[in-house]
Amino acid sequence: MTESVAPSAAPRPLAVAPVAAASPAARAAIEIDDVDFHYGASKALHDITLNIPERQVTAFIGPSGCGKSTLLRCLNRMNDLIDGARVSAGRIRIDGVNIFDPRVDVIELRKRVGMVFQKSNPFPKSIYENITYGLRIQGQKTKARLDEVVEHSLRGAALWDEVKDRLHESALGLSGGQQQRVCIARAIAVEPEIILMDEPCSALDPIATAKVEELIHGLKKQFTIVIVTHNMQQAARCSDRTAFFYLGKLIEYADTRTIFMNPANPQTEAYVSGRFG
Amino acid sequence: MLTLLFRMSATTETPSLARLATREVLLRKRRGWFFGMTGDQFVKYVFQGNAAVSIIVLGLITFTIFKDAVGFIPMNHANLAVYRLAGLEYVDLYREQVTAHSTMSRYLAGIRARQLDILMQKEGLAPAAAMARLAAYDGFANSFADTINEQETLLGTMTDLVTAVKERQTVAQDLAVAKKNLLGAMSGATPERAVELQQQADAIQIEVIDYQAEIKPLLALRPEIAATNASQMTAMKEILGQAPKFADAELNRRMEKFQGFVQGYFNEAAVVAEKMAAWDQTKPVGRLEAFNAFAFGRKWITASFWQDWYGIIPLLTGSLLIAFLALLLALPLGVAAAIYVNQVARPMEQKILKPYIEFIAAIPSVVLGFFGIAMLGETLRRLSQLPALDWVPGFPMAERLNATTAACLLALMAIPTIFSLAEDAINNVPRSFKEASFALGATRLQTIIHIIVPAALSGIMAAMLLGFGRVVGETMVVLLCAGNRIQTPDLSAGLGVIFQPVHTMTGIIAQEMGEVVRNSIHYRALFMVGAVLFLISLLVNWLAQKIVRRYRISIG
Repeated sequence: MTESVAPSAAPRPLAVAPVAAASPAARAAIEIDDVDFHYGASKALHDITLNIPERQVTAFIGPSGCGKSTLLRCLNRMNDLIDGARVSAGRIRIDGVNIFDPRVDVIELRKRVGMVFQKSNPFPKSIYENITYGLRIQGQKTKARLDEVVEHSLRGAALWDEVKDRLHESALGLSGGQQQRVCIARAIAVEPEIILMDEPCSALDPIATAKVEELIHGLKKQFTIVIVTHNMQQAARCSDRTAFFYLGKLIEYADTRTIFMNPANPQTEAYVSGRFG
Repeated sequence: MLTLLFRMSATTETPSLARLATREVLLRKRRGWFFGMTGDQFVKYVFQGNAAVSIIVLGLITFTIFKDAVGFIPMNHANLAVYRLAGLEYVDLYREQVTAHSTMSRYLAGIRARQLDILMQKEGLAPAAAMARLAAYDGFANSFADTINEQETLLGTMTDLVTAVKERQTVAQDLAVAKKNLLGAMSGATPERAVELQQQADAIQIEVIDYQAEIKPLLALRPEIAATNASQMTAMKEILGQAPKFADAELNRRMEKFQGFVQGYFNEAAVVAEKMAAWDQTKPVGRLEAFNAFAFGRKWITASFWQDWYGIIPLLTGSLLIAFLALLLALPLGVAAAIYVNQVARPMEQKILKPYIEFIAAIPSVVLGFFGIAMLGETLRRLSQLPALDWVPGFPMAERLNATTAACLLALMAIPTIFSLAEDAINNVPRSFKEASFALGATRLQTIIHIIVPAALSGIMAAMLLGFGRVVGETMVVLLCAGNRIQTPDLSAGLGVIFQPVHTMTGIIAQEMGEVVRNSIHYRALFMVGAVLFLISLLVNWLAQKIVRRYRISIG
């Protein structure tokens, strides 16, 4: 977190993160092959294929209703909770295993693929209980271990110094940005491999947004991050690779620099330059 | 296309009106025919009137109930004053001693039954032979029972004395009421009729009883009481010296216990004698005593030749026992059903289950009560007679209709209330909590236990309270199925207490209100019971509202 990207609170021109572009040789953490997705009778995703590299930030961008959140929620099978929603074709492989295989334990999948939601949603419990929830339901009861994880996770989420004196107060008493970072800390406490972020900053003010973005940059050393965002500047600032979706189709997927500076597809170009969406 | 055509024709065919100036339009507020009110005002007053009617009616009901209820206190005060003045209290003190003695005789009878059991089962004797073997014991028991005869005779004499006084008091009271009614009727009557009424009223002679004088013969018995007590004590000691010894250790133990009882009886007789000596006819009855006799009274005895008692404890405990039992059954069922329907069931199941459970509320309670008498009570009793279930406390059930029978049916009635409210509360838990929990790798059960239920807990508490209110106020089912025995549940039976027949506050009002004389003390006592019910319901609803309000804030 210390080696911050740049003070990113103020809106700036579409600057691309000055970090080295992702090396194409990075191992794919998630392989998405020819995925079709239906909500009841309507088809939300058409034939999506992309590989998400390990320990990088991949951004999904596109106008509302383009299917980017749907795809994200396929990655930890959160769509299972919606009636009538199903993947009708294709595979998503994580570490080589198709997650729609009937033998897959969805509970284990979600322990490995954490998620941060659009609206911060801490449980109506104390900060401490929020962070330890994931471990407790796995049966971890040792106080020392839980304390250690709380500190480690909160430091990881750049929140430790702000809340260390009130760990046992309700998480609902925190500000919006702090709540969202509690949710991130809660997600990293169970030590996942992949963290999915569904528009994590859409409800935050610019300063809180800057903090979360900074955090994302730090987290990618340890985790593979997939982030859905409406904010193109955010995608440009903090992602290594960007996928542009439109009407349920993957239009273009490349290095973030390429997408924003030199897109191959005229639709992408129109979207990133703000002509629609 | 059609609509377009229509629209076009509409615009073209409407004749263009002369447009009024804004100034004129603004001042053209229309007044209606009804007292010059505009339509909006009229509607407003109609609704306001409806709301006001319900508030006024509620206020009137509350006022009436409490007015009649409060009147009970002075009446019960008078009732208790007569109890003391006429000497009934004094006689009841002595009665305690006689009752204690007969308890001992019953204990001896218990020993006899056990002996007979042993003789017939272990030694295999025929009933006649066994009886013969008990002759010596019977002689002992009978001579023991006879030691109370003199006291019983005395008690009879005393009872007759005070009953005569009390009867005269009752007659005097009735006459006073009749006279008051006659005088009251005069105000609206014609002059001739008024004169007639006045004459009738004057003809009524109300006896003024001099209690101090009346009680003298009663108090004159004091030396006699002391003498009989002394002779009884000697007789009992002598008999006790001849107490039989048994071969069986258990029987010997019981006999020893019995000797302990006799010692206790001597002590009690001394205490009673002290109390009787200290008894003071002229000691005034406090107002608080009149209230306490209601609030903490353990007897509800009405229309008795001796003394009427209006104590709410047996009714209150009966009501609460049934309500808690019903809640104990209904709460897990209702909440579990709510969790299932809201969290687990598929939409199709939801569509069927929700209305189905809520439909239970539509069954008339008298039908449920009927079912309870005809089916449930009988089934439960058969079940309780199974030898395999002997270990259950209270089994086999003595009565077919008891607290549990009523509680089962009340639970059924409370389930829809609890279910609907709990389901609402669970539904109000933000979906995002559930998603966050699942995303952390929690199972459905873990999510329900750790996230959903705690978040909905205050709503579930409110559901429980309102369910309790529903159950406490229910009348028909308890009247039909609770057994209607006016007695404080006997806690010495342990858990078996739930199989005792009880009476309830609602039941007693429904049962007795139709038969009481208007404005009599009994009538007022029933209003007191009604007021207590009213207060309980008020408290429960208020608590539930308070909890729900807090819950809304906490979820945000």
